[in-house]
Amino acid sequence: MGTVIAVISGKGGVGKTTTTANLGLGLAMNKKKCVVVDFDIGQRNLDMILGLENRVVFDIVQVMDGEVGLKQALIKAKLNENLHFLAASQTKDKTVLNSEKIKKLIDELKEDYDFVLLDAPAGIESGYEHTIEFADAAIIVVNPEVSSIRDADRAIGILDSKSQKVKDGGEVRKHLIINRINAKMVESGEMLAGDDILDILSIDLIGKIPEDQAIIEASNQGRPAILNTNSPAGQAYKRIADRICGNKIEIKDLETSSSGFFDKLKGIFK
Amino acid sequence: MFSFFNKKSSAKTAKDRLTIAIMSDRTGTDSFPFMDQMKAEIIEVVAKYMGVKDIDIKKEVIGDVEALSIDIELGDKTISAFK
Repeated sequence: MGTVIAVISGKGGVGKTTTTANLGLGLAMNKKKCVVVDFDIGQRNLDMILGLENRVVFDIVQVMDGEVGLKQALIKAKLNENLHFLAASQTKDKTVLNSEKIKKLIDELKEDYDFVLLDAPAGIESGYEHTIEFADAAIIVVNPEVSSIRDADRAIGILDSKSQKVKDGGEVRKHLIINRINAKMVESGEMLAGDDILDILSIDLIGKIPEDQAIIEASNQGRPAILNTNSPAGQAYKRIADRICGNKIEIKDLETSSSGFFDKLKGIFK
Repeated sequence: MFSFFNKKSSAKTAKDRLTIAIMSDRTGTDSFPFMDQMKAEIIEVVAKYMGVKDIDIKKEVIGDVEALSIDIELGDKTISAFK
């Protein structure tokens, strides 16, 4: 029985889809059978980040409506044989989602995969609520910036009250990713440090990701940065994927700019 | 030039502002899906003994302590427990 992880943020544009794609691929690289599902109905994007936009024939809404079988709609990622992808519908809107159909789909996916990653839409409305409804765990992506952190707190509040696990008396595990850290700005006191963000949100940290131009290049090409061993963000995603698989890997200090230099040296000798 | 005179780091300002904003966000009652049901049940119990005019339930977060504050306005007119 697989684990269902919702990737959420509250605010848009903080790196949810990029995170979903990279972690999905990272888990697949760890030999875990993984499926990434785009829940952003009406604003399909995960397909482009994974370079699969030309392969999409059927989407999640068609599967839930019983128009096509799940197997027909799942797309094998060419980047890794353990990774599959289910596209969001581009023509419908989020009002087509309903709990019963979502549960059936997720139960089916859990049977076949070790990890089911759900890329949530931005915001905290019905599309978001449906994404977290049947999740076992959530990865919360924030940027070190006030609006992202405040919106994430709201999204966490909804997660803690509206997910099925909580209604059943359980708890949805929550893991924080701090994305787009600029070490120089943190050092000079112009950007919130990781510890400050953890103080405010009081949830567990699973990884920090530095700001990195390689992310844009990766999205241009449809090849997630985790495949680029020279990319600091890609390396950070690799460490997070390894942590999700249960490996104990220390959280790296990405908030002092000197560490970047030593890492580059280490990188040369690898 | 401006930052030379402005000694307090902007990250510190951000943390202070966020702490207050989030504390006030969390006070909102909409994070309880069962709030309406709980209200109805409380009214039902109190209305057995005296008239209830209105009820107001708030979740308050003060530092690490979460508290539920319930205000029940009494009156001769009993409001329906099941709206």
